[in-house]
Amino acid sequence: MASISSIRNFSFSRAYDKFSRRVSRAALNMVGSSENLPTVSNPKTLNAVDWIGKKLSSAENRLILGASALLSQPFIDASNKEVDAETRRYSICRTIAKIIAGTVTGYSIRKLCIKSIDAFTKSVNEIKPDMKFKNLRTLLTPTLKYTADELAQYKNTLGTILALGVMVFTNFLIDAPLTKGLTNAFTKLGGIKNDESK
Amino acid sequence: MMNPSKLFANFKNTILTKYGPNPAKMLIYTGVLGWFLSSAAQVVAIAVNDKIPKEQKMFLIPQEIGDGAINVVSFFLVTSVIKNFASRLVSSGRLASPKIREFLTESGINIKTKKGWKVLPDFDFSKFNIENLTNFYKIKDDYKSFKNGVDVIGMTAGSILSCNIITPVLRNKYAAQRQKKTLAEMNRIPSNKVNYPRGISMDTYQKYAAMKYSNPSLKI
Repeated sequence: MASISSIRNFSFSRAYDKFSRRVSRAALNMVGSSENLPTVSNPKTLNAVDWIGKKLSSAENRLILGASALLSQPFIDASNKEVDAETRRYSICRTIAKIIAGTVTGYSIRKLCIKSIDAFTKSVNEIKPDMKFKNLRTLLTPTLKYTADELAQYKNTLGTILALGVMVFTNFLIDAPLTKGLTNAFTKLGGIKNDESK
Repeated sequence: MMNPSKLFANFKNTILTKYGPNPAKMLIYTGVLGWFLSSAAQVVAIAVNDKIPKEQKMFLIPQEIGDGAINVVSFFLVTSVIKNFASRLVSSGRLASPKIREFLTESGINIKTKKGWKVLPDFDFSKFNIENLTNFYKIKDDYKSFKNGVDVIGMTAGSILSCNIITPVLRNKYAAQRQKKTLAEMNRIPSNKVNYPRGISMDTYQKYAAMKYSNPSLKI
């Protein structure tokens, strides 16, 4: 029987971590052969893996998600037999519009925020005499020692956090009207009567 | 009480030490936060919208919370499992670059053959972790750069699977069920107690349901 202290010490994240590790471990034993271990030896692939680990930020990640969403979600909507044909066609147009609007704004805002954070995360050596706001350039620079890769990821993280805050507003100010406009355009192209455009 | 500049320095250093060496972890956490804020924004938008009657808000707000929960849970579970798996592929030595293989051969873990590399038949990958080897420092940089790349690829694959396949399928099912339930209610409850948009046909209602603003592709 579970004791009170074991209930008190229960942590969802710890339990989830344990579960996730068990699943990984089980899957691990099914990958490849122990007689010929999978090795990534193609130099181009190795460079790509290295680049992804160092340079891929949440902005590029959002772009990849958007592109893959265009390749999957409209087809998922098209195969949704639980709604009638016209609703289905309408939801496809709406989905495509949402993906385009969400990806364009999501990518741009993340990229801009990461760039803005970068401007105020300079090391002392990077500050040039002709720079504006010299005093603020090191405002976000961490005080601990870091490698160049760690600093790049730090900027990505801060930029992404800032972008999340900005997007709480732009979700309504930009995404919603852009989605509406694109939906109207797509439904017109598809010859669907659109109640929203009225 | 700690002074604000010290707090700010602590915040910056925590971000650096927690996410600097682990970009995939950052992408997962900010992804979850993005989903959460996106869903919260949808709920707030409904709550503060004066044009939506109180009765409808009672239906729409729990529905949005349900949608949000599906998005957040599916993203977190699927993405973390796949990311952890990718991570373990590298730390267990299952997947490696030639430099890591050479290091593992030097350490007596891998055996070089004509075809490539192998391990002894009784080797247990699930108990092995390269990072625990005493001479790990020799390969640390190459290992970290390879592992971070594989982690981010795993995280991206996981988020594609959860955001673009699992979540839309689940949401379509959930929305269809809610829609059927609401339509059934619409036909059952007398018109003076209506809790749904009045004076519209079933067809129009279905269209509105399909037009509903929240969608995985609008993740913040």
